[in-house]
Amino acid sequence: MLAKDLVAASSKPLVLSILAGGESYGYEIIQKVRELSGGHIEWSDGMLYPVLHRLERDGLIDSEWKEADTGRERKYYFLSSDGRKALKTERQQWLAVHNTLSRLWKIKPVSI
Amino acid sequence: MAGRSQHVEPIMENQTRFNLNAALENWRQELAGQLNLTSDDRRELETHLRDAVAGFQQRGLNDEESFWLARRRVGQPQQLAEEFAKADPAKVWRERVFWMWLAVFLSSTLGSMAGYIVFALMSVNTNSTARVVTQTTLYLLASLIPIIIAVSLAKGKWVAFFSKLTQLVENRRHLAMAAFLCVALSSFIRIAAMAIFYSRHNIHNNSFILQELASTIYPLIIALLLVWLIPSQIRRTPKRV
Repeated sequence: MLAKDLVAASSKPLVLSILAGGESYGYEIIQKVRELSGGHIEWSDGMLYPVLHRLERDGLIDSEWKEADTGRERKYYFLSSDGRKALKTERQQWLAVHNTLSRLWKIKPVSI
Repeated sequence: MAGRSQHVEPIMENQTRFNLNAALENWRQELAGQLNLTSDDRRELETHLRDAVAGFQQRGLNDEESFWLARRRVGQPQQLAEEFAKADPAKVWRERVFWMWLAVFLSSTLGSMAGYIVFALMSVNTNSTARVVTQTTLYLLASLIPIIIAVSLAKGKWVAFFSKLTQLVENRRHLAMAAFLCVALSSFIRIAAMAIFYSRHNIHNNSFILQELASTIYPLIIALLLVWLIPSQIRRTPKRV
């Protein structure tokens, strides 16, 4: 399980990266994060929405109510052009941290 | 444990059968009590809860287990409200200010329209006794209308009618059109009423037209404020009935 600070800090790049792969809604985003992290990152369901709303207010993502295949309506989020730029910056910063730690721990670094 | 639950189950089924829809309705009511959540937030959380319930059901859990697990995962309504308020503290207030100004706008424009119609009728009617009678009746009727509307809304009557009315403002352009139409209609009625009054009394005065037009500035400002403040969920999608 991730420390609370790290969960908060990583939520932005995680959400932006998931939405870079196509529009999605809250429940699906949480499921994806749980799956991809192999259960190491457990987001509480209620915590994600404030994150999404903050990103929306900052103009990094947009939202729209749409009907799903089941006939039920869901609020879908998608990446804006500003969000795409922000994701690039986030990616560079996280990889810089990753590479520094990798060198210290003698793991092979990745190219940024 | 397994043996005991086999004995208990049939009795439980007869006594209290878990009703998923009723449980969801209760949860929605609980959420509605949280003042920090906008109607859009509540709707979003409800779709999440329903997805979570469906997810547990697919894994083979029954309705009751699925509901309680999903509910626990989504979190306590009060905690949710606090978290949501942190993300955008001004959002809830923007929505409240919008409805407040909408009420001010409607009561001021509709009120002045009604007042000027009464005034026009008054100036046509010259008989003093009849005048007092009409005046009293019309003012009583005018003051009764908001009371009747308030009481019937509180009792849950005419809901279909009012929800149709809210569809008028389902997006920013509709709201702007409806508001400006209201202002135009009320200024037309005022000018017409004053014209009737002056012609009845044989007064030649045209400056009132400018004066009446100037008094539309305030309602116009409120209308602009409303269009600017319109809550995002109305701006984007029709309000759910």
